[in-house]
Amino acid sequence: MTSTAGTTESVGHFAARARTWIEDNLPTWDDEPVDDRTLQNRIYDAGFGGIAFPVDHGGAGLTLAHQRAFYDCTDELGRQVPRQYWVSIGMVAPLLLERGSEAQKREFLPQLLRGDIIMIQLLSEPRGGSDLAGATTRLTRTGDHYVLSGSKMWSTNAYIADYGICLARSNWSVPKHRGLSLVIVPLKDDPGVSVHRTRMADGELGDVCEEFFDDVVLPRENLIGDEDDGWAVVQSLMVHERNQTADIGYGRLGAGGRSTTMVVDRTAEATQLAAVARERAALDLHNQAVADAYIDSVVTRLTGDRIIRGLALGTHQGPWGSLGKLRGSEDGHRVARTRLAVLGADGVTWDGDDVQPDNAGTAWLTARIATIGGGTSEIQRNIISERLLGLPREPSFDRDVPFEEVLRNARRRG
Amino acid sequence: MHLELTDEQRSFRDTARRFIESRTPLTTVRDLYDEPDGFDRGWWREAARLGWTSLFVPETHGGGTLSGRAVTDAVVLAEEIGRLVSPGPVLPVNVVAAALAWSGGGDRGTALLPALAAGEAIAGWAFAEPGDRWTPDALETVAVIDDGGVTVEGEKAYVEAAGVADHLLVTARGDGGLTQVLVPADAPGVTVLRGRSVDMTRRYGRVRLTGVRLPVEAVVGQPGRAADVVERQLALALALQCAEMVGLAERAMETTVEYGRDRIAFGRPIVSFQVLKHRLADMAVHLEGMKAVTEELAASIDGKSAETSRLASIAKAYVGRHCLEIVDDCVQITGGMGVTWEHDLHLYNRRAAVDRAMWGTPELHRRRLLDLLADGGRL
Repeated sequence: MTSTAGTTESVGHFAARARTWIEDNLPTWDDEPVDDRTLQNRIYDAGFGGIAFPVDHGGAGLTLAHQRAFYDCTDELGRQVPRQYWVSIGMVAPLLLERGSEAQKREFLPQLLRGDIIMIQLLSEPRGGSDLAGATTRLTRTGDHYVLSGSKMWSTNAYIADYGICLARSNWSVPKHRGLSLVIVPLKDDPGVSVHRTRMADGELGDVCEEFFDDVVLPRENLIGDEDDGWAVVQSLMVHERNQTADIGYGRLGAGGRSTTMVVDRTAEATQLAAVARERAALDLHNQAVADAYIDSVVTRLTGDRIIRGLALGTHQGPWGSLGKLRGSEDGHRVARTRLAVLGADGVTWDGDDVQPDNAGTAWLTARIATIGGGTSEIQRNIISERLLGLPREPSFDRDVPFEEVLRNARRRG
Repeated sequence: MHLELTDEQRSFRDTARRFIESRTPLTTVRDLYDEPDGFDRGWWREAARLGWTSLFVPETHGGGTLSGRAVTDAVVLAEEIGRLVSPGPVLPVNVVAAALAWSGGGDRGTALLPALAAGEAIAGWAFAEPGDRWTPDALETVAVIDDGGVTVEGEKAYVEAAGVADHLLVTARGDGGLTQVLVPADAPGVTVLRGRSVDMTRRYGRVRLTGVRLPVEAVVGQPGRAADVVERQLALALALQCAEMVGLAERAMETTVEYGRDRIAFGRPIVSFQVLKHRLADMAVHLEGMKAVTEELAASIDGKSAETSRLASIAKAYVGRHCLEIVDDCVQITGGMGVTWEHDLHLYNRRAAVDRAMWGTPELHRRRLLDLLADGGRL
């Protein structure tokens, strides 16, 4: 991805060259807004697009450090950069570079980097996202082409995209991770594809979309990697996605390219909130913690009273003592922690040569006794969730199995 | 929430639940989002016929309690309101009715009670002031009595139902202490600036009082002597709010558990994962605590206990914090669906966020609690 050592431009030299160009060519955020594609074309045509991509595939042949220097400069100077390419250039383009066929790289990478087309990812489904390998969108091979049907959800920027990279199930008769494939799907001009923006809880249309695929015919060469090997390929995509969110990868494309939650100036925000907080009486942390610990202790007592009444009346049945135990013991621990915080050095030192047990520091040493002894808080939470809330048990490996096998199996699982 | 409901309370609760389920289900709440007032006045008169507005009104004026303990009765209703994030000015109308009944005297005030009970009139409590000020000692609005009249001057904020209220109970500084004045919304010098909140149906507004001149009969109770009744009104507002939050949190949790039983990931229902079970167990702990402290607060107000103010702050600090945390956890457990418009959780998140803020944040009440403790005594 970089040219050979010795010929790569130093980051410092590059940054100085970039700064001159940025000052002369990119408008500030106060200027008339320039549309994303025009901006990206301008950046690319000046040699600053795909900074860390190889020259052969339309990039500048430099490194992520150079890319970072370029966008640090646009941010520092407050210059307009595009907002809509962070999935396309930040996640999908590096995936194609790593996993795409030569033909796919030649066809798509230069256009993606110049901003002429947008390609996004199609991963989560209405039925699930965390368990991504449980995808049920169907990819069926028929002769020399594939047919895609199913639906995807939470696809960022699908409504402005030309293509999507879709994770679909190509083989239903093998374990879930081994029957997935990744395929490029055109999102425009196919009657079998429909894309809808999702309305969010705030009432606004989001950048995320839901897509429906109704027997969409795709050529074999749209496959990325091998058939049924999509899970391995999608791992790379998710690495780039997390890097983008962490603002450390190819997706570091300047403040314009990041989601709105990340462009907030935290210092300015903190200063502003602090001014309001100061104006509104001293709601300082120690007072809040002291009050909270006291409030918890009162509520614990009232909870106990209520449970006692409930058990007598029959409105409460089952191991409600676990709930009271969890509350009370965690309360005690919180009080001990609060004492340490408020008293500071005075809580852990005293005058004289004798060991004095009556202080916050010494109490802290045993503050966990109550949350461990008599059944840990974790065991109480299991009891509450299973026997008061009726939630399913964890799968266990030690039921109806001879105990010597339980021990043997456990060592194997570790 | 209450462990021991009387037959009357149980029937009151069931009737309220059926009325809400049939007349303002969540689909209707969504429709009301686009309505300026957030509720329909004809519907409010029907609600009044079910007793929603008469609990604090004396029998001689067309009202009456169910159990002789009006606050305990009222929180039964508030909890139902919370369960289905129902619309309607239940809190201000009941608190103003209680204020008028508790203050005694003042012909104008008691004359309003039958209309409030019948749902014909709507009253708002103009208490808080701009800058998130929710404590009596922070109020700057003044009520001056002279020549047989009272003049009110100041600005009130976060007034629920301000845009539809026919009457506003204004809490002000007077000669010698707090003075409350019943101000007709159309009195000269009153400007109501309608506003909205993040809640779907609950509207709050600002009230400017510029040289509002009324006959002295508009004063509610003794001028300069309203501090105690204002404390009690605040406690009542907080009790109703806390009960609403109990209903909100409980319902949000129920729907989340139902969802998590049906949602399969990695070959199991997601609520079978310990990481979610423990989260739900902690939520159950706090829900029980929310119920216990709210119940205690209601009983304390009914019993005219000296602990009421402290308990009110304890309840708000605890319930206000944990209701929003429970709903927030529900959003996380529900995953992406929980942040869409289509899913109902945001209706709960909206109400929980507004309830946390109105009548003082948990942060404010923790501070107030410490001040009250410093003034003496233990709980």
